[in-house]
Amino acid sequence: MNHTTRKWSLRLVVVLYLGLLVGLPVGYLFIKAFSNGFHAFWVEVTKPNAIAALKLSAEVALIAVPVNTVVGIGAALILARRKFFGSRALTLAFDIPVAVSPIIIGVALVLAYSRIGWFGSWLSSHGIQILFSPIGIVMATMAVSLPYVLRSVLPVLIEVGKDQEDAARTLGAGGFRTFWQVTLPAIRWGVLYGVTLTIARTLGEFGAVLVVSGNITGKTQTLPIYIFDAWDQNFDTIGAFAGALVLASISIVALIILSTLRARERKLHVDLA
Amino acid sequence: MDTPARAPSSELGAPPARRGWRRFSSRARSSFGLYGGASLIVGYLSIIVLIPIAAVAAHGFSFSIHTQGWGAAFWHWHLSAGFATFWHDITQPAAISAIRLSLWLSLSVAAINAVMGVAIAWVLVRDKFPGKWFLEAFIDLPFALPTIVVGVVLLFLYGTASPLKISLFETWMGLMVALLFVTLPFSVRAVQPVLASLDGESEAAAKSLGAGGIRTFLWVVLPSLWPAVLGGFGLAFARAIGEFGSISLIAGGIGRTTTASSYIYNLTQGFLWTNAAAVSTALLVLSLLILIATNVFARRIQRRLAS
Amino acid sequence: MSISLSHLTKRYGADTVVNDVNVEIPEGSLTAVLGPSGSGKSTLLKLIAGLESPDEGRVVIEGDDVTDVDPRHRDIGFCFQHYAPFRHMNVARNIGFGLRVRKQPKDVIDAKVAELIELVRLDGKAKSYPAQLSGGERQRMALARALAIEPRVLLLDEPFGALDAQVRTELRQWVKELHRQIKVTTILVTHDQDEAMEVADQLLIMHQGRIEQAGEPTELYERPATEFVHGFLGPTTTFKGASVRPHDLELVATSVGAIEGNVQSIMELGFEVQVTVSLSDGSTPWVQMSRNEFRSINVGVGSPVSIRERD
Repeated sequence: MNHTTRKWSLRLVVVLYLGLLVGLPVGYLFIKAFSNGFHAFWVEVTKPNAIAALKLSAEVALIAVPVNTVVGIGAALILARRKFFGSRALTLAFDIPVAVSPIIIGVALVLAYSRIGWFGSWLSSHGIQILFSPIGIVMATMAVSLPYVLRSVLPVLIEVGKDQEDAARTLGAGGFRTFWQVTLPAIRWGVLYGVTLTIARTLGEFGAVLVVSGNITGKTQTLPIYIFDAWDQNFDTIGAFAGALVLASISIVALIILSTLRARERKLHVDLA
Repeated sequence: MDTPARAPSSELGAPPARRGWRRFSSRARSSFGLYGGASLIVGYLSIIVLIPIAAVAAHGFSFSIHTQGWGAAFWHWHLSAGFATFWHDITQPAAISAIRLSLWLSLSVAAINAVMGVAIAWVLVRDKFPGKWFLEAFIDLPFALPTIVVGVVLLFLYGTASPLKISLFETWMGLMVALLFVTLPFSVRAVQPVLASLDGESEAAAKSLGAGGIRTFLWVVLPSLWPAVLGGFGLAFARAIGEFGSISLIAGGIGRTTTASSYIYNLTQGFLWTNAAAVSTALLVLSLLILIATNVFARRIQRRLAS
Repeated sequence: MSISLSHLTKRYGADTVVNDVNVEIPEGSLTAVLGPSGSGKSTLLKLIAGLESPDEGRVVIEGDDVTDVDPRHRDIGFCFQHYAPFRHMNVARNIGFGLRVRKQPKDVIDAKVAELIELVRLDGKAKSYPAQLSGGERQRMALARALAIEPRVLLLDEPFGALDAQVRTELRQWVKELHRQIKVTTILVTHDQDEAMEVADQLLIMHQGRIEQAGEPTELYERPATEFVHGFLGPTTTFKGASVRPHDLELVATSVGAIEGNVQSIMELGFEVQVTVSLSDGSTPWVQMSRNEFRSINVGVGSPVSIRERD
């Protein structure tokens, strides 16, 4: 087998594999969308339960994403700039949510905070219900989307180095100003990358939320659960299809943002002489 | 420029807060910030991840603190009784078959994608052709796509109403396709940067010594890729063994295609929380072990390469 | 004295990187801290700036004990080895950063920045970003940024280390000229003895965390206190069991006070010629001479020669 044949057969294998595994299914979703027409889609997504699900998903993201962004940047700063006892353990702990099944995360939250859990009686005596409520959904979502900002920011922070921050300090800038005017601009693409990933993960989270939410139509259904429910319980394939289309479109937008950022970040890397 | 550019210091005035305690960078002050920030973060982490995970393990072993006394009898009774229930829960035939299915599916999926991941990474790094950027963006699609959307999409194509007349509904093949789909990015992205960082010098050296393309790849490139391939394998395996959303629809509701995660979910639907906790603990230990093993292996290989 | 360091010590774990350093640096001087890599010279600079805190000892700047003062309040201009430009700010905003921190009015900042841009010869580059500048330009921008706050002391960490040979020589001359103009006490760290000898009016030789010797360059070159300083400041060769400079030896026709031997090898390096001689006592010193001198003695490999110290 000569060089050219080998090259072409490798290309063929790769393109076929990606095409059949990823391209065909996702492409089919959009082809079907066009053939069904926009009207049918619009009817589906404007049903009250669909709108309620969309709204809940957005609300959950509005809480989970900012919190995880702040925590992620804070943790990245501490891990990149300080050496302290337990820093490795902290990094590992952040990775638990990706290493563990989302179903287990859901079960874990129930066993810790629901009425049958460790703190259930204390929480319910204070009028806080976590299982079958939006609070549980928010907590589950926060847990599964926790590591992404840290993971995107930490390598950038290490790469950028400490020199610019030290320079700002010798020029008289305090910690607050140094962070806002020097550190944050230097890592902004990393942050944006992490935030995009967090949003995508937040809107798409299914397993953990399914366990804690109790799946109450119109009340504790996020968009992914609405899709699951439509297909699995109500045999409403068109409804499931419409919901999937909304989520798929969001993630494709996210994907475009991500690959643009990566291209830019690579350029930045070249500039870092 | 005969006049000195340096003006008397007084002109600029003192920088803010030159006097007083704020002027001092006592180590205590900066440590205060470090430990304050770190404890907030650890607190948050504990509430949403660590405490709940601990609760799973404790419930898995039926370990409760609602008892009288803390003596030796307490520990003895709890540990023995706890382990017995745990063992009983995870040795249910349904539990065993679910865990077995998850294990072999995840191992084969991670293995297939490890091979394909190297091939795809190779094409992305070393090959050049129009439209490559599209392929590049494509790799992350399974990662960005919500798992339930993957489930819906696969069921549209390979469900009972398949336009291709291929129905994978309620088959292990269906599960496998879904798992290959969702783990693809992990396998590719683990290898790609390492492959890109190989400078090609040792490859050129091997070729100049008369080694052919395939031999160069096997003897020179692959050894340096091993840690990355193993790392990708570990990530893909962990993802596959915990996966739920993408396979929940195509698996249907039958025992033959019930994976460990689906089994746990089914238990929760019957409010069998203790059983769910037991199986969760087993799954947790299993995935942690594999993750640690691949990490240790990858690191050992890396160290050997470095020295 | 502008800066005085007493008993300054810094350890990283078991390593003592800076070991009991006691130094007085005169006001308005341009001091080079010279040493091989790993000698602790960069750490010493960071201790003065406050970017590292010492395990023992005091740092006093202009009579003010700043050992426990945060770097932001030390009034120090620090230039980093890789310049540490703020990449997202243009040249003018980089230079004006310290002035904005000090809440100067906008017109004062603008005037000062314009003055500095002219001083460091970056005219026309005010709106450029660091990525668009050459290495030498970035270096000058970093210098201007440090000078903008009118520091009591200017600290330069390997200022020419990352530049190519030609830009390097130009910048050395320019820094020396700049220092003559603005007279701010300056300390620069370098591992290059030529650079240190050329630019500085004071030298500190560092070795394994300690100061080996301090003083004016010619004094150190001529009267090195230790074998290390002797070896580090210029080439050495062994003659009559002692370490001497090869240009302090000469080849002569056999006569009193000289040792006989044969030419072992000759290396011509343009203007300079190095002749290695194998002596009867078994040693092989080498002699450094000019090309003209070499021509005038007319020897080749194997020629019998005598060697002695110049008067």
